[in-house]
Amino acid sequence: MSKRYADAFFFTGYYGLIALAILFALIPIVIAVVLSFDNRTFIGPFPPTDWSFRWYEEFLTSDYYHQGLKTSLIVSSTATLFSTVIGALTAIAIDRGRFWGRGVLQSLFISPLVIPTVVIGFGVLMFASRLGIVDGLPRLIMGHIIITFPYVVRTTLAALIGLRPSYFEAALSLGATPYQALWHITIPLARTGIIAGAIFAFVMSFDEVAVSLFLSDPFTYTLPVALLAQMRANLNLTIAAVSVIFIIVTIVLIWALDRIAGLDKIVGQGVYGRIR
Amino acid sequence: MTTVLDLQSIEKSFGAVRAVDGVSFDVARGEIVALLGPSGCGKTTTLRLIAGFEQPDGGRIVMNGVDVALREPYERNVGLVFQDYALFPHMTVAQNIAFGMKHRGTPRAEIPKKTAEVLERVHLSGVEKRWPSQLSGGQQQRVALARALVTEPDLMLLDEPLSNLDAKLRHHLRIELREILSKTGSTTIIVTHDQEEAMGLADRIVLMNAGRIEQIDTPERLYAEPKTRFSADFIGQSNWFEGTVRGDGADGTAQVDTPAGPVSIPLVNGFAAGDRIAVCVRPERITLTGPDLESTAPGQTRVAGTVDAVEMLGSDIRVWLKTANGAQIQSSTKYLGGPRPKVGTKAAACFNAADCILLEAEGKRE
Repeated sequence: MSKRYADAFFFTGYYGLIALAILFALIPIVIAVVLSFDNRTFIGPFPPTDWSFRWYEEFLTSDYYHQGLKTSLIVSSTATLFSTVIGALTAIAIDRGRFWGRGVLQSLFISPLVIPTVVIGFGVLMFASRLGIVDGLPRLIMGHIIITFPYVVRTTLAALIGLRPSYFEAALSLGATPYQALWHITIPLARTGIIAGAIFAFVMSFDEVAVSLFLSDPFTYTLPVALLAQMRANLNLTIAAVSVIFIIVTIVLIWALDRIAGLDKIVGQGVYGRIR
Repeated sequence: MTTVLDLQSIEKSFGAVRAVDGVSFDVARGEIVALLGPSGCGKTTTLRLIAGFEQPDGGRIVMNGVDVALREPYERNVGLVFQDYALFPHMTVAQNIAFGMKHRGTPRAEIPKKTAEVLERVHLSGVEKRWPSQLSGGQQQRVALARALVTEPDLMLLDEPLSNLDAKLRHHLRIELREILSKTGSTTIIVTHDQEEAMGLADRIVLMNAGRIEQIDTPERLYAEPKTRFSADFIGQSNWFEGTVRGDGADGTAQVDTPAGPVSIPLVNGFAAGDRIAVCVRPERITLTGPDLESTAPGQTRVAGTVDAVEMLGSDIRVWLKTANGAQIQSSTKYLGGPRPKVGTKAAACFNAADCILLEAEGKRE
């Protein structure tokens, strides 16, 4: 019997720990969401006593935030577009190519990113000024492509590694050139990875602060940079409202990601099903 | 007979490994040739060289009179059925079959008709709209076959076509495959490690070992007249008696002194008294008798021993006899009812000189 008690004790502790960890991660988010509906003009004791949508109104009517949101959307979508194309092609090259340093590149892209974003931000700033690019927008897009395209490479590579090489060879034996085989067979079969990478890239770019701080100019700044600046200038709860909007956008994108990945499980059974 | 494919001293190395080491053989139009051998013998590399996925280090690959060794796969008219079938999972059966026709320039209007025709030929009509994942293993195999056949390739290559199927289905599909291939008149190379598959499907077998060809022959001759010890051991089961030829023979036979006792062999040219030779006897050529009978017919060999193991296989019964010197002799007979021989009983193995396959003791004849 004592063995059973020990086991029960262990599992109670185990699940308790997990519950604590989840709570620890969720509480700040809950606080931000609740505070965004606070009617007080100062940050008072929690929970708020008075409710309103005033911070949302403030966000929606503020030109400063508008400008930031607009820049963010332009930068993130442009960067995502470039990252997806460059990243997917890079992944295919690494997976299919036979060249010196291929193994190093593969492990480099598969492993978590190692260069601090601050370093990337500073580097791009210097590089852009050397190239004579002083406008905020192209600079921001450059920086965001650099930080997001490894995500596309990684997810695409993961999808490609799972593909049997015989698909590509079957296409060749049926008369397709390598380019046609890539376009009709390899890329469609890796689409889950490519789309997941694109969504990842967008979320990462939309959320990015450090690189954007370096590359913004007084008139071109992303939403997170605007938030940071507002927080330093006059701390008010608009930040909480914007945070909620951020959370909603992220949840929608993650949901889309799941739908796409989940959808593929139904359509793409042939990849995993039956044979072996 | 026109030669469709002529391989001339093909060589291919991967690093220090000589995967294919001077392989030459040809395939005539309409012929089915099996490339048979254990894993790592170079048969798959040979297939990949013919398909164009690899390029040879030396030698010529002549197809219909033209050396194609350096051509890309899409520049050769070769149909390939992969071991894992490689049906494109994001395309329906019809789209899979149409893929080759589109890239080989079949007019778009003819594609649906040809698709239906080829599916009928592989006995799989009406599955055009299905996804590969909705088909059974045997059906997938037939779609892969149809996809390769529909472009009317000069040469069909099948890589271990039946190895992914279960035993019952494999036998059934082997017969069907043979029928489909001969009906289409396809010139075919089948790569397999399964001797039964090679024997059952091929007109000729190219037996490979360690990157080289051991023997090229019809299935019957490969079994009845193996040229090397490897051939004899790879195809079917064999008992080996090694010894020295003794000159004296009676009625056209000679004697070989082996550790198991004297063995009668036919007197054929090529062996002289004093030569070391290896005698191979197939298990089904060995009959078991009681221990007391004396050898009656001239040219018959009797080796006495005790029953060591018995294996009941249903239609056949296999008995291992242990001789006085510890060697094992395997015999295989049709099971005709009654109890199986008891382990430990005395018995004798009998075979005729005519049933002996003679090889040089080191392996090769000649």
